[in-house]
Amino acid sequence: MRYFVARVIQALIVVWAVGTLVFFMLRAVPGDPIAALLADVDPTAADAIRAKLGLDQPVIVQYVFWLRNTLAGDLGQSLYGSHQAVNVQIAEAAPRTVSLAVVAFLVSFTLGLSAGIISAVKKDSLLDYGFNFAAFLGISMPSFWIGIVLIIVFAVNLRWFPAIGYRPMSAGLDQWLRYLILPGLAVGLPFSASIARLTRSAMLEVLGQDYITLARSKGLNERRVIFRHALRNALIPVVTVMGISLALLFSGSVVVENVFAIKGLGRVLIQSILNRDYPVVQGSILLVAVLLVFMNLAVDMLYRVIDPRISYD
Amino acid sequence: MNKRLQDMFARLTGAEKARIADEHRRAYDFDPRDPLFGLSKDEISGPKLSRRSFLRLVAASGGSISLSHLMGAAGIALPAATRAFAQGGGHLICGWAGTAEITTLDPAQINQVLQFQVASNVLSGLTHINADLVAEGDLATDWTVSDDGLVWTFNLREGVTWHNGDAFSAADVVFTYNRSKDPAQSIHSGNLVNVLDVVALDDMTIQLSLGKPQASLLVKTLERSSGRAMTIVSQHAIESMGLQEYGLMPVGTGPFRVTGHQLGQGVVLERFDDYYDPARPVVDKVTIIPIPENEPLAAAIETGDIHLIGGNGVAAELVDRFLMNPDLVVDEIPGNGFQSVFVNPWREPMVVEDFNLSVDELKQQNGFKVRLALAKAFDRERFIQRALFGRGVPAFGTINPAMGYYFDTGINETSEQRFDVAAAQALLADAGYPDGEGFPTLKLLTTPAGRRQAEVIVDMYRSNLNITIELDIKDFTVLIEDANRMEYDLLRLGSGGDFDPDDGLVDWMLSDSRFNGANRNDADLVEKYGERAFGFFSADRVNELINQQAVTADPAARKALVQEANQLTSDKLASIFIFHGTEILVHRAEVTYPPESRIVGLRDLDRVSLS
Repeated sequence: MRYFVARVIQALIVVWAVGTLVFFMLRAVPGDPIAALLADVDPTAADAIRAKLGLDQPVIVQYVFWLRNTLAGDLGQSLYGSHQAVNVQIAEAAPRTVSLAVVAFLVSFTLGLSAGIISAVKKDSLLDYGFNFAAFLGISMPSFWIGIVLIIVFAVNLRWFPAIGYRPMSAGLDQWLRYLILPGLAVGLPFSASIARLTRSAMLEVLGQDYITLARSKGLNERRVIFRHALRNALIPVVTVMGISLALLFSGSVVVENVFAIKGLGRVLIQSILNRDYPVVQGSILLVAVLLVFMNLAVDMLYRVIDPRISYD
Repeated sequence: MNKRLQDMFARLTGAEKARIADEHRRAYDFDPRDPLFGLSKDEISGPKLSRRSFLRLVAASGGSISLSHLMGAAGIALPAATRAFAQGGGHLICGWAGTAEITTLDPAQINQVLQFQVASNVLSGLTHINADLVAEGDLATDWTVSDDGLVWTFNLREGVTWHNGDAFSAADVVFTYNRSKDPAQSIHSGNLVNVLDVVALDDMTIQLSLGKPQASLLVKTLERSSGRAMTIVSQHAIESMGLQEYGLMPVGTGPFRVTGHQLGQGVVLERFDDYYDPARPVVDKVTIIPIPENEPLAAAIETGDIHLIGGNGVAAELVDRFLMNPDLVVDEIPGNGFQSVFVNPWREPMVVEDFNLSVDELKQQNGFKVRLALAKAFDRERFIQRALFGRGVPAFGTINPAMGYYFDTGINETSEQRFDVAAAQALLADAGYPDGEGFPTLKLLTTPAGRRQAEVIVDMYRSNLNITIELDIKDFTVLIEDANRMEYDLLRLGSGGDFDPDDGLVDWMLSDSRFNGANRNDADLVEKYGERAFGFFSADRVNELINQQAVTADPAARKALVQEANQLTSDKLASIFIFHGTEILVHRAEVTYPPESRIVGLRDLDRVSLS
């Protein structure tokens, strides 16, 4: 428990450090958000807008305001357009990203783990070579390219799925899934390739251990040997990668979100960076930092469940 | 006249030719493409109009003169097809190209064409431009102007209601003016500098007082789409909804009301049943989805996931593919705006300290010779083919073909910038760089999206002048800052939303134009370079002509001033003008997009129907 509390405190410090670093770095990089906003409009409005948004204050004063508001749960509002609250932008984008992440994770988990196990068990067989080749392809092909190929094949030619867009789960589970299959595959396939490669090598290592030979010599069922004794021990590196992958998926896949016209967290972040929309960048990166830090923490905790020999005391 | 028109004319009978000549004589200065920026006081004032004025003002002097009203008044029944068309219904789904989200629909904050394309379907103005870029009455039915052109009185349309059920009145116009005039509330306050006051004479009449006559008042300042400063907003709705919600789902008096808007996912518009023209809109519902990437956009319209493309325009590389698809309709017209390569006159070896010298005197200076060499070595046709897949027309000034009446069709023959690679090489040699020897490496500042075009430019200069240009690619937020500070050698920039000559001339070519190096004398830059008297260009005669055209009521006189200013900016190399874009509308065959809605740069959907 003490270990857990210490890790949470460490995680909070990391999140604060990331937030602070991003705050000052944003203001140090070139690019004036108001200049961009006023590119085709009245430059005399610039000072009024800066004052209204608090950008005329010294940076340290802006930082204190930002920290105080963030601790109170208010991430500020966008500098652009309708000045929508950052909390609202994130809250609107999050369900889409989570939906996409869940489908992509299921794709990567199911395909990656099964392919990795089969490859290891059927080592040097045609099946192993086939999965290896597919995994190389999956790792080599960028997800946006996979997305476009999927659109051309399954949306334009076969007309099985829509080319773009997103439907929330409230529109019906079938609609939700129909719109998420192609983007889920585009994001999930490269991840599944990595997981397949990792699972294969971890399984091969474990399958060569003495206790597996012993289990087999005791006459245990092969399925039991693989799933009960080998897989569980091989999973530790795989779970680490899957945990980080899941955190990355939850942070949004900007490229695939762009290809399928889904406004998720990735697109919120990239769009705000391009616009130098300070509050949205800060809010989004803070969220990504929280996700990554706490997902890592969760993975560490999961190790104990997988392998009871691991202790943090 | 182009060859096709000449052939058509040659096929006409003598009687037909005589009738055309007669019509032309009687409507001697009528030009349907004349944006009608300023007529004489008598011509502009209503409601009694001469035949000639009627032809000129059929759109501008009163919104009540719509075809259906004229036919109705004359006892003419609309044909069955038209009635069926008007009863259309259906759900139109549009993809807004090249954008990740439609950040706002509040006219006070709108700074992109793709935003006012949507807002124009929801909100109204006193006027609205039509397909000929002529201002028509929108919430104003007719108007009069004082002898000195300084006081304009507008009668407002009776019985108009807001989407929330409130009645529209003159108080809304006054509220909009006061809001837009305040720079803390509107980014367009500068557009109202010349409008000194707006007062309500009664519930349905307002009066505008101007500081000086303004030729572009109807088509620019009071226009509902691109104008923005006087796009009429509801005080009650803003106060009850708050600015954030109003920015997403503004309450207007337009043909559609916003019923849903999630940033990045789309805007949902539904037919407003109490719109002042009961025949519009035709469809029941419109969904607008932002689609940032080209290939998914193409796939979406090919599969029928969307019916029509709006937003930032269709990427040139997709047009031929769409043209070959029988399910799609592609309509290409001259686009507004101009695109340039700006050459910094404060950087060696392109230095020009005084653009007031005559062109012949300027040609004696090495800096100008280099600038002229760069301009004359620019093969616009080749650039358009290579960088734009043939979708564009060569530019030699800010005034573009979409402006019709003001566009000088002969400038490609008369401009000093016309392509002549041998002359360009000779000029460069004369400036001390024979065959490009010793010419310094210049940097071309552009955005990531402009990389392809910039690479074509680099390659063209390498082959035509044997000089080296490197790309300097920066995000737009950084690029615009560098542009304002004159921190570049060459800059690839342009303007995309020009309906009036003021947009190109006033906004770009005046010595104190907003884009003319506005921040060139920031303290750190003065320390580095010293005071710089102007940005990329400054010529007294050009300033004089631009200021004069802005207050000239007579179209012919204004045209002469505009074209002289345009010619001078071209000859004196205010920038290397490279192309005017084309405006490409793509929709599925089941969509009917009537010609009267084909307004360059806009996507007015109120007359659009689905079969």
